[in-house]
Amino acid sequence: MNQGLSKKSQTFLENLRLYLFSNGKDEKEINAIVEELEDHLMEAEARGKTVDHIVGESPKQYMMQLSNEMTTDTKTWVKYIIMILFGALSYSVLTNAVKGQLSYSLLEILGSIMISLIFIIAIRSLFKYVAANSLSKRKEFALFYVIGLLPIALFVGLFYSNRLIETPIFHFGSIGTLLAVLLTLVFLIGMSLWTKSWVMLIILALLVFPDFLFRYIDVGPESQLILSTIITFGGIALYLFANQKISKQSTNE
Amino acid sequence: MSTTQMLKGIIDGCLLAIIYEKEVYGYELAEKLEQYGFDSFSEGTIYPLLIRMQKEESVSSTLKKSTAGPKRKYYTLTPKGEEELQQFIARWEKLQSNVNLCLRKQ
Repeated sequence: MNQGLSKKSQTFLENLRLYLFSNGKDEKEINAIVEELEDHLMEAEARGKTVDHIVGESPKQYMMQLSNEMTTDTKTWVKYIIMILFGALSYSVLTNAVKGQLSYSLLEILGSIMISLIFIIAIRSLFKYVAANSLSKRKEFALFYVIGLLPIALFVGLFYSNRLIETPIFHFGSIGTLLAVLLTLVFLIGMSLWTKSWVMLIILALLVFPDFLFRYIDVGPESQLILSTIITFGGIALYLFANQKISKQSTNE
Repeated sequence: MSTTQMLKGIIDGCLLAIIYEKEVYGYELAEKLEQYGFDSFSEGTIYPLLIRMQKEESVSSTLKKSTAGPKRKYYTLTPKGEEELQQFIARWEKLQSNVNLCLRKQ
């Protein structure tokens, strides 16, 4: 698409998109301005100008100027927050329901919500920081790595504190569990229709399916581990591959 | 005071005037400004202004196919924009004569 564009210009456009996205700007407006600037940069570069000539000395300041004029669309971010929060919840409900009846302690429920929110805020600030400051690839990678590990560390912490601290436990019972699973499925399908993307449902299905399978098929724990890894990650890889092929075809049209 | 600071507000009027002349896209607009001697600021500066002018409905845009690659956004003045241009011209003429008077008196 933008083959003619220099690496520096491409990086600028990617960073701009990330910055505006992290600021919760309207998706359509983001696409419009990025396309317009891409067109401008192509023509400018063909005439021997560099990205500095267009953006000025401080890309960060220029991004802020654009951002200030654009509409903030809280809906986009609410969409992502709901997706992450309920995605985590759906995963927990489905995997636990496959193994038996559901029960959660108050600490688990509140803790999970807190961790999800912390993660969302952290990743959003990270996006903005990385987009506005040109960091080295190594530094960028290290930052993403740390933020990626953050929820895992927090969940491990929650897991152990849940053993130490006693809080009221909510037992769902068999009808409650069934209801929770049904609600989760309805929510997941609704969410997929709303976002017009089936990615969440497919990945969750692939994560849960092996556990479900082993309730009916009797295999040793080792083959269980191997089988579930193959099904889950093989499935996700296959899905991503197919998805990429489809999107490539649609851009080529 | 730097030129950039002085230009604030004035550039908006110049953009209106250029768009009034002929339907233009972003790069053309930047190039015209440069030809008229506004070469002290970076070309990208026009885009935040264009976004605002679209929100205020003084310009409107249409996407048109270009010879090179993606669709291009062309800007035209709305009736409101034309009115604003007239007001800008009147204000500028008054300002210009006032400034000139001041400078000549010195």
